[in-house]
Amino acid sequence: MSALAEILSSNFLLRDALVGSVLVGLVCPLVGVYFVLRRMIFLGVALPQLSAAGIAFSFIGYRVAVGVHEHGNVSERSLAMVGAFVFTLVGLLVLTAFERRGRETVEARIGVTYAIAAALTILFLAVDPHGDAEMVNLLKGDILSTTRESLTMLASLLGAVVLVLFAFRKEFLLVSFDRDLAIVFGKRAALWDGLLYMLIGVTISLGVMTAGPLVTFGFLVVPPLTARLVTRRMLSFSLVAAMLGGAAAFGGFYCAYRMDLPLGPAEVALASLVLFVVGAASMARQAAARMRTP
Amino acid sequence: MTAPALALRDVSLGYDGRQILRGVTFTVEDGEFCALLGPNGAGKTTLLRGMLGLLPVLRGTIEYGIDRRTSPPGYVPQRDSLDPIFPLTVLEVVLMGTFARLRPLQTAGRRQHRLAMDCLAQVGLEAIAKQPFWALSGGQKERILIARALAAEPQLLLLDEPTAGVDPGATVAIMDAITRLNRERGLTVILVSHQLRIVRQVVRSVIWVDDGGAVKGTAEDLLSPERIADVFGAVAAGG
Repeated sequence: MSALAEILSSNFLLRDALVGSVLVGLVCPLVGVYFVLRRMIFLGVALPQLSAAGIAFSFIGYRVAVGVHEHGNVSERSLAMVGAFVFTLVGLLVLTAFERRGRETVEARIGVTYAIAAALTILFLAVDPHGDAEMVNLLKGDILSTTRESLTMLASLLGAVVLVLFAFRKEFLLVSFDRDLAIVFGKRAALWDGLLYMLIGVTISLGVMTAGPLVTFGFLVVPPLTARLVTRRMLSFSLVAAMLGGAAAFGGFYCAYRMDLPLGPAEVALASLVLFVVGAASMARQAAARMRTP
Repeated sequence: MTAPALALRDVSLGYDGRQILRGVTFTVEDGEFCALLGPNGAGKTTLLRGMLGLLPVLRGTIEYGIDRRTSPPGYVPQRDSLDPIFPLTVLEVVLMGTFARLRPLQTAGRRQHRLAMDCLAQVGLEAIAKQPFWALSGGQKERILIARALAAEPQLLLLDEPTAGVDPGATVAIMDAITRLNRERGLTVILVSHQLRIVRQVVRSVIWVDDGGAVKGTAEDLLSPERIADVFGAVAAGG
């Protein structure tokens, strides 16, 4: 049986991992569209790292407040989810608050956040004597360990994120494109920003827990950048970005399975390859158009 | 006698608690066409942003002759303030104006699409509804932003330098469109501009911003050649 047929068969051993991977690939770009449009791409590096620090911190917090935590019980993922979400959301709110009143560059603030988050992640793991392989796997985002329960939680939460994103897409577009106009229209811009940041926080937390910081950053940024090159409307921009992300996740999974490669890097490499090809084609098309112009 | 479209009473405006304008008092009547003029850095944009509710009023009151929740003003920002990274067609930009009267979860339907096309027709650009917004010339973009403001179905229209950086032909087309909206639809218009010669031809009243304050008067009084020469130099006064 070919690798593709094997992956698509109903009794494929890693079916839950495949579905989880494609879900992250589909939904991260829908949120990433706003990273690209609001010129917050570097936040896509810092926030997943903060999310990872939150996961590590949640286990230390549990050990200090309650006692030794047993890995493998059902609450482990919930605990990690809470830690990841709180760190991501707080980081996002602090960074955006500084953006409105700070004098240093945005890159400096995001760079410092990334450095702090990466250092904290390692320190939290070093402090916790129970920071064993399972916790490290959770931080790396070991997608192959996806279970039916974790997949159900992932699908439910990401499904809710997609619903809210599409239900309020006109509000998110207005506050992102012309915040002043939104305020003139009497819309509560801060409220819509807050809701968008919450969706970003949930998606990044789930993405990091499922696929790790690298893959989450890759899917947040690369498919929207590719879609931006080939679309002219907002709705098609979002949909094409999601489809590219889903396709890269599936294609990356296939390549990793077929060639025995690490899954996350294979997915990001494939998404990036598509970006380079589409980018080169777009540049060639523009050059040809310039040559035709007298 | 009808209520004024806008009334400012002893208004102070500024940033971070620092006052830029003090004691500003004037009214803009319903259906009036008013220009907001003054030297660079005098506080024209500060005053416009205050009237739009984008800046907190530090002192005094601003009253609207309309219920801003049910009938928000139309606003045309400087087009450079908008980011070209957004992939938007002309129609999508104009449709944003209809969001003023849509509640959350309500989507732009047939009525809003018809309204957007009608607003595009009013600025003479309905033929390019499907074109990418960023591929247009500066003058066309400005007229699209005016159409977007009209799509909010406003009674009060505020424009921030709509003719800045556009060629003379486009300037005439933009000013024509605004003048028609004022004369034919009775829209109250407040316009920030540097084009003194054109403004003098179309507006009846002027709000002059200078020296930390603002006064309102007729165009003849406030735009006399002597006054313009005093503020901007002889070339502007002659133009």
